[in-house]
Amino acid sequence: MTPRILARGLYIPFFVIILGLMASGCGVNNIPTFDEQAKAKWSDVQNQYQRRADLIPNLVETVKGYANQEREVLTQVVEARAKASQIKVDASTINDPAKFKEYQDAQNALTGALGRLLVTVERYPDLKSNQNFLALQSQLEGTENRISVARRDYIEGVRVYNTELKTFPGLLWASTLYRSYKPMETFTAAADTARPPTVKF
Amino acid sequence: MSARYGVACIRLRDSIRTVLPVCVMVLTVFVLAAYALNFPQLTGRVVDEAGVLDLAAKGELERKLAEFEAQTTGQLVVVTLKSLQGTSIEDYGYQLGRHWGIGQKEKNSGALLIMVPSERKVRIEVGHGLEGQLTDAVSRLIIQNSIVPRFGTGDYAGGINRGVDDIIQALADPDEWRQRAKQRPDSQPFGFDIIMAILLVIVVIMIMRSVSRGGAQDPRSARRRAGGPVFVPMPWGSGSGSSDWSDSSWSGSSGGFSGSGGSFGGGGASGSW
Repeated sequence: MTPRILARGLYIPFFVIILGLMASGCGVNNIPTFDEQAKAKWSDVQNQYQRRADLIPNLVETVKGYANQEREVLTQVVEARAKASQIKVDASTINDPAKFKEYQDAQNALTGALGRLLVTVERYPDLKSNQNFLALQSQLEGTENRISVARRDYIEGVRVYNTELKTFPGLLWASTLYRSYKPMETFTAAADTARPPTVKF
Repeated sequence: MSARYGVACIRLRDSIRTVLPVCVMVLTVFVLAAYALNFPQLTGRVVDEAGVLDLAAKGELERKLAEFEAQTTGQLVVVTLKSLQGTSIEDYGYQLGRHWGIGQKEKNSGALLIMVPSERKVRIEVGHGLEGQLTDAVSRLIIQNSIVPRFGTGDYAGGINRGVDDIIQALADPDEWRQRAKQRPDSQPFGFDIIMAILLVIVVIMIMRSVSRGGAQDPRSARRRAGGPVFVPMPWGSGSGSSDWSDSSWSGSSGGFSGSGGSFGGGGASGSW
Protein backbone atom coordinates (compact mmCIF):
# COMPACT_ATOMS: atom_id res chain seq x y z
CA MET A 1 0.00 0.00 0.00
CA THR A 2 1.44 3.31 -1.01
CA PRO A 3 1.14 6.24 1.41
CA ARG A 4 -1.10 8.02 -1.09
CA ILE A 5 -3.78 5.33 -1.06
CA LEU A 6 -3.46 5.01 2.67
CA ALA A 7 -4.05 8.72 3.13
CA ARG A 8 -6.98 8.80 0.79
CA GLY A 9 -8.53 5.70 2.33
CA LEU A 10 -8.33 7.22 5.77
CA TYR A 11 -9.40 10.77 5.39
CA ILE A 12 -12.54 10.33 3.31
CA PRO A 13 -14.57 8.41 5.88
CA PHE A 14 -13.00 10.48 8.61
CA PHE A 15 -14.23 13.67 7.02
CA VAL A 16 -17.66 12.31 6.30
CA ILE A 17 -18.01 11.43 9.97
CA ILE A 18 -16.66 14.79 11.13
CA LEU A 19 -18.98 16.68 8.81
CA GLY A 20 -21.97 14.70 9.93
CA LEU A 21 -21.20 15.25 13.59
CA MET A 22 -20.50 18.90 12.97
CA ALA A 23 -23.82 19.42 11.31
CA SER A 24 -25.80 17.81 14.10
CA GLY A 25 -23.75 18.23 17.28
CA CYS A 26 -22.17 21.59 16.67
CA GLY A 27 -25.50 23.27 16.21
CA VAL A 28 -24.98 24.43 12.66
CA ASN A 29 -28.74 24.49 12.26
CA ASN A 30 -29.46 26.23 15.53
CA ILE A 31 -29.42 29.82 14.32
CA PRO A 32 -31.89 29.32 11.43
CA THR A 33 -34.03 27.06 13.61
CA PHE A 34 -34.25 29.53 16.49
CA ASP A 35 -34.75 32.33 13.97
CA GLU A 36 -37.78 30.57 12.53
CA GLN A 37 -39.16 29.75 15.96
CA ALA A 38 -38.85 33.34 17.12
CA LYS A 39 -40.47 34.58 13.91
CA ALA A 40 -43.35 32.16 14.37
CA LYS A 41 -43.84 33.49 17.87
CA TRP A 42 -43.71 37.02 16.53
CA SER A 43 -46.46 36.27 14.05
CA ASP A 44 -48.52 34.90 16.91
CA VAL A 45 -48.07 38.20 18.77
CA GLN A 46 -49.18 40.06 15.65
CA ASN A 47 -52.18 37.74 15.24
CA GLN A 48 -53.37 38.36 18.76
CA TYR A 49 -53.00 42.11 18.45
CA GLN A 50 -54.91 41.91 15.17
CA ARG A 51 -57.60 39.88 16.86
CA ARG A 52 -57.96 42.59 19.45
CA ALA A 53 -58.16 45.29 16.78
CA ASP A 54 -60.90 43.28 15.05
CA LEU A 55 -62.98 43.16 18.21
CA ILE A 56 -62.92 46.91 18.77
CA PRO A 57 -65.41 48.24 16.16
CA ASN A 58 -68.07 45.89 17.47
CA LEU A 59 -67.29 46.81 21.05
CA VAL A 60 -67.42 50.53 20.32
CA GLU A 61 -70.77 50.17 18.55
CA THR A 62 -72.25 48.27 21.46
CA VAL A 63 -71.01 50.76 24.04
CA LYS A 64 -72.28 53.68 21.93
CA GLY A 65 -75.79 52.31 22.09
CA TYR A 66 -75.81 52.67 25.88
CA ALA A 67 -73.25 55.31 26.71
CA ASN A 68 -73.16 57.71 23.83
CA GLN A 69 -72.21 60.57 26.10
CA GLU A 70 -68.82 58.94 26.75
CA ARG A 71 -67.68 60.27 23.43
CA GLU A 72 -64.21 61.22 24.57
CA VAL A 73 -63.21 57.77 25.78
CA LEU A 74 -64.74 56.13 22.71
CA THR A 75 -62.90 58.47 20.37
CA GLN A 76 -59.65 57.75 22.14
CA VAL A 77 -60.11 54.03 21.59
CA VAL A 78 -60.98 54.47 17.93
CA GLU A 79 -58.02 56.76 17.37
CA ALA A 80 -55.59 54.51 19.20
CA ARG A 81 -56.81 51.58 17.13
CA ALA A 82 -56.39 53.50 13.88
CA LYS A 83 -52.89 54.53 14.90
CA ALA A 84 -51.90 50.99 15.80
CA SER A 85 -53.32 49.61 12.55
CA GLN A 86 -51.48 52.19 10.45
CA ILE A 87 -48.08 50.86 11.41
CA LYS A 88 -46.90 48.39 8.81
CA VAL A 89 -45.54 45.32 10.53
CA ASP A 90 -43.84 42.31 9.06
CA ALA A 91 -41.08 39.86 9.93
CA SER A 92 -38.38 42.52 9.46
CA THR A 93 -39.87 44.72 12.18
CA ILE A 94 -38.22 42.61 14.84
CA ASN A 95 -34.75 43.56 13.58
CA ASP A 96 -35.54 47.27 13.51
CA PRO A 97 -35.43 48.87 16.99
CA ALA A 98 -37.16 52.13 15.99
CA LYS A 99 -40.01 50.44 14.19
CA PHE A 100 -40.41 47.87 16.90
CA LYS A 101 -40.68 50.56 19.55
CA GLU A 102 -43.23 52.44 17.46
CA TYR A 103 -45.36 49.31 17.18
CA GLN A 104 -45.07 48.52 20.86
CA ASP A 105 -45.93 52.09 21.89
CA ALA A 106 -48.98 52.18 19.64
CA GLN A 107 -50.27 48.87 21.01
CA ASN A 108 -49.64 50.00 24.58
CA ALA A 109 -51.57 53.19 23.91
CA LEU A 110 -54.48 51.08 22.66
CA THR A 111 -54.26 48.88 25.76
CA GLY A 112 -54.49 52.01 27.91
CA ALA A 113 -57.45 53.45 25.98
CA LEU A 114 -59.31 50.15 26.18
CA GLY A 115 -58.67 49.95 29.90
CA ARG A 116 -60.16 53.41 30.39
CA LEU A 117 -63.19 52.47 28.30
CA LEU A 118 -63.85 49.37 30.38
CA VAL A 119 -63.59 51.38 33.59
CA THR A 120 -66.05 53.96 32.24
CA VAL A 121 -68.48 51.23 31.30
CA GLU A 122 -68.78 50.29 34.97
CA ARG A 123 -71.15 53.23 35.38
CA TYR A 124 -73.73 51.76 33.02
CA PRO A 125 -75.57 48.82 34.59
CA ASP A 126 -77.79 48.33 31.53
CA LEU A 127 -74.76 47.92 29.32
CA LYS A 128 -73.09 45.60 31.79
CA SER A 129 -76.02 43.21 31.68
CA ASN A 130 -76.27 43.31 27.88
CA GLN A 131 -75.49 39.81 26.56
CA ASN A 132 -73.73 41.08 23.47
CA PHE A 133 -71.51 43.30 25.55
CA LEU A 134 -70.71 40.52 28.01
CA ALA A 135 -69.69 38.22 25.17
CA LEU A 136 -67.49 40.94 23.69
CA GLN A 137 -66.00 41.71 27.04
CA SER A 138 -65.05 38.09 27.68
CA GLN A 139 -63.52 37.89 24.22
CA LEU A 140 -61.55 41.03 24.88
CA GLU A 141 -60.31 39.70 28.20
CA GLY A 142 -59.37 36.41 26.60
CA THR A 143 -57.54 38.23 23.82
CA GLU A 144 -55.61 40.41 26.24
CA ASN A 145 -54.59 37.27 28.04
CA ARG A 146 -53.54 35.63 24.78
CA ILE A 147 -51.52 38.72 23.92
CA SER A 148 -49.65 38.52 27.18
CA VAL A 149 -48.96 34.80 26.66
CA ALA A 150 -47.83 35.39 23.06
CA ARG A 151 -45.61 38.27 24.14
CA ARG A 152 -43.98 36.14 26.79
CA ASP A 153 -43.42 33.27 24.37
CA TYR A 154 -41.88 35.71 21.92
CA ILE A 155 -39.59 37.20 24.56
CA GLU A 156 -38.41 33.69 25.41
CA GLY A 157 -37.91 32.80 21.74
CA VAL A 158 -35.83 35.93 21.16
CA ARG A 159 -33.80 35.25 24.27
CA VAL A 160 -32.90 31.81 22.97
CA TYR A 161 -32.07 33.16 19.51
CA ASN A 162 -30.03 36.14 20.70
CA THR A 163 -28.15 33.98 23.18
CA GLU A 164 -27.28 31.55 20.40
CA LEU A 165 -25.89 34.41 18.31
CA LYS A 166 -23.69 35.64 21.14
CA THR A 167 -22.47 32.49 22.89
CA PHE A 168 -19.76 30.13 21.84
CA PRO A 169 -20.79 27.46 19.39
CA GLY A 170 -23.38 29.71 17.79
CA LEU A 171 -20.97 32.63 17.66
CA LEU A 172 -18.77 30.69 15.22
CA TRP A 173 -21.66 30.06 12.84
CA ALA A 174 -23.03 33.58 13.20
CA SER A 175 -19.70 35.06 12.11
CA THR A 176 -19.19 32.62 9.22
CA LEU A 177 -22.26 31.03 7.69
CA TYR A 178 -25.02 33.27 9.01
CA ARG A 179 -23.73 36.81 8.73
CA SER A 180 -27.14 38.10 7.68
CA TYR A 181 -28.79 36.96 10.92
CA LYS A 182 -29.15 39.96 13.22
CA PRO A 183 -30.21 40.10 16.87
CA MET A 184 -33.93 40.60 17.38
CA GLU A 185 -35.77 43.26 19.34
CA THR A 186 -37.85 42.23 22.28
CA PHE A 187 -40.60 43.73 24.38
CA THR A 188 -39.47 45.84 27.28
CA ALA A 189 -42.19 44.13 29.23
CA ALA A 190 -43.49 46.45 31.85
CA ALA A 191 -45.61 43.99 33.78
CA ASP A 192 -48.52 46.39 34.11
CA THR A 193 -48.89 46.95 30.38
CA ALA A 194 -48.94 43.23 29.68
CA ARG A 195 -51.65 42.54 32.20
CA PRO A 196 -55.23 42.55 30.94
CA PRO A 197 -57.35 45.44 32.18
CA THR A 198 -59.06 44.34 35.36
CA VAL A 199 -62.80 44.28 35.12
CA LYS A 200 -65.13 43.58 37.99
CA PHE A 201 -68.47 41.98 37.43
CA MET B 1 8.77 46.73 32.51
CA SER B 2 5.89 49.10 33.06
CA ALA B 3 4.79 48.63 29.45
CA ARG B 4 4.56 44.91 30.01
CA TYR B 5 2.61 45.51 33.19
CA GLY B 6 0.22 47.75 31.24
CA VAL B 7 -0.34 45.10 28.60
CA ALA B 8 -1.08 42.54 31.29
CA CYS B 9 -3.55 44.93 32.86
CA ILE B 10 -5.34 45.49 29.57
CA ARG B 11 -5.48 41.74 28.99
CA LEU B 12 -6.95 41.21 32.40
CA ARG B 13 -9.51 43.91 31.82
CA ASP B 14 -10.49 42.41 28.48
CA SER B 15 -10.92 38.96 29.94
CA ILE B 16 -13.07 40.37 32.73
CA ARG B 17 -15.11 42.15 30.12
CA THR B 18 -15.82 38.91 28.32
CA VAL B 19 -16.39 36.84 31.43
CA LEU B 20 -18.65 39.29 33.22
CA PRO B 21 -21.65 39.13 30.83
CA VAL B 22 -21.51 35.34 30.98
CA CYS B 23 -21.60 35.45 34.78
CA VAL B 24 -24.52 37.86 34.71
CA MET B 25 -26.39 35.60 32.29
CA VAL B 26 -25.82 32.49 34.41
CA LEU B 27 -26.99 34.37 37.50
CA THR B 28 -30.11 35.57 35.70
CA VAL B 29 -30.98 32.00 34.78
CA PHE B 30 -30.65 30.95 38.42
CA VAL B 31 -32.77 33.84 39.63
CA LEU B 32 -35.46 33.05 37.06
CA ALA B 33 -35.40 29.39 38.06
CA ALA B 34 -35.94 30.38 41.68
CA TYR B 35 -39.05 32.35 40.68
CA ALA B 36 -40.52 29.52 38.61
CA LEU B 37 -43.87 28.15 39.72
CA ASN B 38 -44.35 24.82 41.40
CA PHE B 39 -46.90 22.58 39.80
CA PRO B 40 -48.73 19.69 41.45
CA GLN B 41 -48.17 16.23 40.08
CA LEU B 42 -50.59 14.98 37.46
CA THR B 43 -51.97 12.07 39.42
CA GLY B 44 -55.14 11.56 37.41
CA ARG B 45 -57.93 13.39 35.64
CA VAL B 46 -58.88 15.01 38.91
CA VAL B 47 -56.04 16.59 40.86
CA ASP B 48 -57.51 17.68 44.17
CA GLU B 49 -54.65 19.51 45.81
CA ALA B 50 -56.94 21.74 47.86
CA GLY B 51 -58.91 18.72 49.08
CA VAL B 52 -62.44 19.92 48.38
CA LEU B 53 -63.78 16.68 46.89
CA ASP B 54 -64.67 13.50 48.73
CA LEU B 55 -63.77 10.11 47.31
CA ALA B 56 -67.16 9.40 45.79
CA ALA B 57 -67.36 12.74 43.99
CA LYS B 58 -63.79 12.36 42.77
CA GLY B 59 -64.47 8.85 41.46
CA GLU B 60 -67.59 10.01 39.67
CA LEU B 61 -65.72 12.90 38.04
CA GLU B 62 -62.83 10.64 37.01
CA ARG B 63 -65.27 8.27 35.34
CA LYS B 64 -67.01 11.08 33.50
CA LEU B 65 -63.77 12.60 32.29
CA ALA B 66 -62.39 9.25 31.17
CA GLU B 67 -65.57 8.57 29.22
CA PHE B 68 -65.35 11.98 27.57
CA GLU B 69 -61.78 11.35 26.58
CA ALA B 70 -62.63 7.95 25.13
CA GLN B 71 -65.49 9.33 23.05
CA THR B 72 -63.71 12.39 21.71
CA THR B 73 -60.09 13.32 21.21
CA GLY B 74 -60.27 16.02 23.84
CA GLN B 75 -58.69 15.81 27.25
CA LEU B 76 -60.22 17.57 30.22
CA VAL B 77 -58.61 17.75 33.64
CA VAL B 78 -60.00 19.20 36.87
CA VAL B 79 -57.54 20.85 39.24
CA THR B 80 -58.05 22.35 42.66
CA LEU B 81 -55.11 24.34 44.01
CA LYS B 82 -54.03 25.36 47.49
CA SER B 83 -52.63 28.65 46.26
CA LEU B 84 -51.62 30.53 43.12
CA GLN B 85 -48.11 31.18 44.46
CA GLY B 86 -48.47 34.91 44.02
CA THR B 87 -49.39 34.99 40.35
CA SER B 88 -52.71 35.40 38.56
CA ILE B 89 -54.90 32.40 37.72
CA GLU B 90 -54.53 33.22 34.00
CA ASP B 91 -50.76 33.08 34.30
CA TYR B 92 -50.74 29.92 36.39
CA GLY B 93 -53.34 28.20 34.20
CA TYR B 94 -51.62 28.19 30.83
CA GLN B 95 -48.28 27.31 32.37
CA LEU B 96 -49.82 24.38 34.23
CA GLY B 97 -51.51 23.20 31.03
CA ARG B 98 -48.23 23.34 29.14
CA HIS B 99 -46.31 21.73 31.96
CA TRP B 100 -48.66 18.76 32.02
CA GLY B 101 -49.11 18.72 28.26
CA ILE B 102 -52.86 18.22 28.46
CA GLY B 103 -54.44 17.37 25.11
CA GLN B 104 -53.12 15.73 21.98
CA LYS B 105 -49.94 17.21 20.67
CA GLU B 106 -51.07 17.83 17.08
CA LYS B 107 -54.50 19.13 18.02
CA ASN B 108 -53.74 20.84 21.34
CA SER B 109 -57.12 19.53 22.38
CA GLY B 110 -56.86 20.00 26.11
CA ALA B 111 -58.81 21.97 28.66
CA LEU B 112 -58.43 22.57 32.38
CA LEU B 113 -60.99 23.49 34.99
CA ILE B 114 -58.97 25.21 37.71
CA MET B 115 -60.35 26.36 41.04
CA VAL B 116 -58.51 27.92 43.96
CA PRO B 117 -60.75 28.04 47.03
CA SER B 118 -58.27 30.05 49.11
CA GLU B 119 -58.40 32.92 46.60
CA ARG B 120 -61.99 32.31 45.45
CA LYS B 121 -60.90 32.09 41.81
CA VAL B 122 -61.96 29.75 39.05
CA ARG B 123 -60.81 29.46 35.46
CA ILE B 124 -61.47 27.40 32.38
CA GLU B 125 -58.19 27.17 30.50
CA VAL B 126 -58.67 26.15 26.88
CA GLY B 127 -56.04 24.66 24.57
CA HIS B 128 -55.53 26.06 21.06
CA GLY B 129 -57.43 23.23 19.42
CA LEU B 130 -60.60 23.63 21.47
CA GLU B 131 -60.85 27.41 21.29
CA GLY B 132 -63.24 27.11 18.36
CA GLN B 133 -65.89 25.26 20.36
CA LEU B 134 -65.14 26.33 23.89
CA THR B 135 -64.81 30.03 23.14
CA ASP B 136 -64.04 32.68 25.72
CA ALA B 137 -67.69 33.72 25.75
CA VAL B 138 -68.90 30.14 26.25
CA SER B 139 -66.35 29.60 29.01
CA ARG B 140 -67.48 32.76 30.73
CA LEU B 141 -71.12 31.68 30.51
CA ILE B 142 -70.32 28.33 32.08
CA ILE B 143 -68.39 29.99 34.89
CA GLN B 144 -71.00 32.65 35.57
CA ASN B 145 -74.10 30.49 35.24
CA SER B 146 -73.09 27.05 36.45
CA ILE B 147 -70.04 27.32 38.61
CA VAL B 148 -69.96 30.62 40.50
CA PRO B 149 -73.48 30.38 42.02
CA ARG B 150 -72.70 26.93 43.46
CA PHE B 151 -69.24 27.88 44.67
CA GLY B 152 -70.80 30.91 46.33
CA THR B 153 -72.86 28.63 48.57
CA GLY B 154 -69.86 26.43 49.32
CA ASP B 155 -71.01 23.60 47.05
CA TYR B 156 -67.64 22.96 45.42
CA ALA B 157 -68.37 19.41 44.30
CA GLY B 158 -71.68 20.47 42.74
CA GLY B 159 -70.11 23.44 40.95
CA ILE B 160 -67.27 21.40 39.54
CA ASN B 161 -69.63 18.64 38.47
CA ARG B 162 -71.98 21.00 36.69
CA GLY B 163 -69.07 22.88 35.11
CA VAL B 164 -67.60 19.67 33.74
CA ASP B 165 -70.99 18.64 32.35
CA ASP B 166 -71.34 21.98 30.58
CA ILE B 167 -67.83 21.94 29.17
CA ILE B 168 -68.38 18.44 27.80
CA GLN B 169 -71.68 19.50 26.29
CA ALA B 170 -70.18 22.58 24.67
CA LEU B 171 -67.40 20.48 23.18
CA ALA B 172 -69.67 17.70 22.00
CA ASP B 173 -71.96 19.98 20.01
CA PRO B 174 -72.57 17.87 16.88
CA ASP B 175 -72.43 20.74 14.36
CA GLU B 176 -69.04 21.83 15.53
CA TRP B 177 -68.00 18.23 15.64
CA ARG B 178 -68.73 17.65 11.98
CA GLN B 179 -66.77 20.73 11.00
CA ARG B 180 -63.85 19.52 12.97
CA ALA B 181 -63.81 16.06 11.44
CA LYS B 182 -62.89 17.66 8.13
CA GLN B 183 -59.66 19.01 9.49
CA ARG B 184 -57.31 16.09 9.47
CA PRO B 185 -53.65 16.67 10.30
CA ASP B 186 -51.38 16.47 7.25
CA SER B 187 -49.34 13.31 7.16
CA GLN B 188 -45.60 13.64 6.87
CA PRO B 189 -43.98 12.34 3.67
CA PHE B 190 -42.51 8.96 4.47
CA GLY B 191 -38.90 8.82 5.59
CA PHE B 192 -38.08 12.25 4.25
CA ASP B 193 -35.38 12.88 6.84
CA ILE B 194 -33.61 9.59 6.14
CA ILE B 195 -33.55 10.22 2.41
CA MET B 196 -32.10 13.68 3.00
CA ALA B 197 -29.41 12.26 5.27
CA ILE B 198 -28.39 9.61 2.71
CA LEU B 199 -28.29 12.23 -0.06
CA LEU B 200 -26.11 14.47 2.07
CA VAL B 201 -23.63 11.68 2.76
CA ILE B 202 -23.47 10.80 -0.96
CA VAL B 203 -22.85 14.43 -1.93
CA VAL B 204 -20.13 14.77 0.69
CA ILE B 205 -18.43 11.58 -0.49
CA MET B 206 -18.54 12.80 -4.09
CA ILE B 207 -16.99 16.12 -3.15
CA MET B 208 -14.28 14.36 -1.20
CA ARG B 209 -13.58 12.06 -4.14
CA SER B 210 -13.20 14.93 -6.56
CA VAL B 211 -10.93 16.78 -4.17
CA SER B 212 -8.71 13.76 -3.62
CA ARG B 213 -8.54 13.06 -7.37
CA GLY B 214 -7.59 16.63 -8.11
CA GLY B 215 -4.69 16.38 -5.75
CA ALA B 216 -3.71 12.85 -6.72
CA GLN B 217 -0.55 13.95 -8.55
CA ASP B 218 0.96 15.14 -5.32
CA PRO B 219 -0.02 13.34 -2.15
CA ARG B 220 1.23 16.16 0.01
CA SER B 221 -1.07 18.71 -1.58
CA ALA B 222 -4.02 16.42 -1.08
CA ARG B 223 -3.19 16.07 2.52
CA ARG B 224 -2.74 19.81 2.86
CA ARG B 225 -6.08 20.47 1.28
CA ALA B 226 -7.78 18.01 3.54
CA GLY B 227 -6.11 19.34 6.63
CA GLY B 228 -8.07 22.56 6.91
CA PRO B 229 -9.58 23.76 10.14
CA VAL B 230 -11.12 20.77 11.82
CA PHE B 231 -14.06 21.49 14.04
CA VAL B 232 -14.39 19.22 17.00
CA PRO B 233 -17.98 18.03 17.26
CA MET B 234 -19.68 19.58 20.23
CA PRO B 235 -22.45 17.81 22.04
CA TRP B 236 -23.87 20.96 23.56
CA GLY B 237 -25.43 23.90 21.77
CA SER B 238 -28.51 22.18 20.53
CA GLY B 239 -30.25 21.87 23.86
CA SER B 240 -31.09 25.40 24.89
CA GLY B 241 -33.94 26.02 22.50
CA SER B 242 -35.76 22.80 23.05
CA SER B 243 -37.47 23.67 26.30
CA ASP B 244 -40.76 23.90 24.43
CA TRP B 245 -40.52 20.35 23.25
CA SER B 246 -39.21 18.74 26.36
CA ASP B 247 -42.08 20.30 28.27
CA SER B 248 -44.75 19.00 25.99
CA SER B 249 -43.31 15.55 25.50
CA TRP B 250 -43.50 14.99 29.22
CA SER B 251 -45.09 11.68 29.91
CA GLY B 252 -44.18 10.63 33.42
CA SER B 253 -47.45 8.99 34.15
CA SER B 254 -48.83 7.73 37.38
CA GLY B 255 -52.10 5.93 37.66
CA GLY B 256 -52.03 5.23 33.93
CA PHE B 257 -52.81 8.79 32.95
CA SER B 258 -50.65 11.42 31.34
CA GLY B 259 -50.82 14.41 29.06
CA SER B 260 -50.18 13.93 25.37
CA GLY B 261 -48.22 17.11 24.69
CA GLY B 262 -50.95 19.65 24.05
CA SER B 263 -50.16 23.34 24.32
CA PHE B 264 -52.05 26.35 25.65
CA GLY B 265 -52.10 29.94 24.50
CA GLY B 266 -54.17 31.70 27.12
CA GLY B 267 -57.67 31.01 25.83
CA GLY B 268 -60.60 30.63 28.20
CA ALA B 269 -62.22 32.70 30.89
CA SER B 270 -61.90 33.32 34.61
CA GLY B 271 -64.26 34.25 37.37
CA SER B 272 -64.38 34.68 41.09
CA TRP B 273 -66.98 34.17 43.76
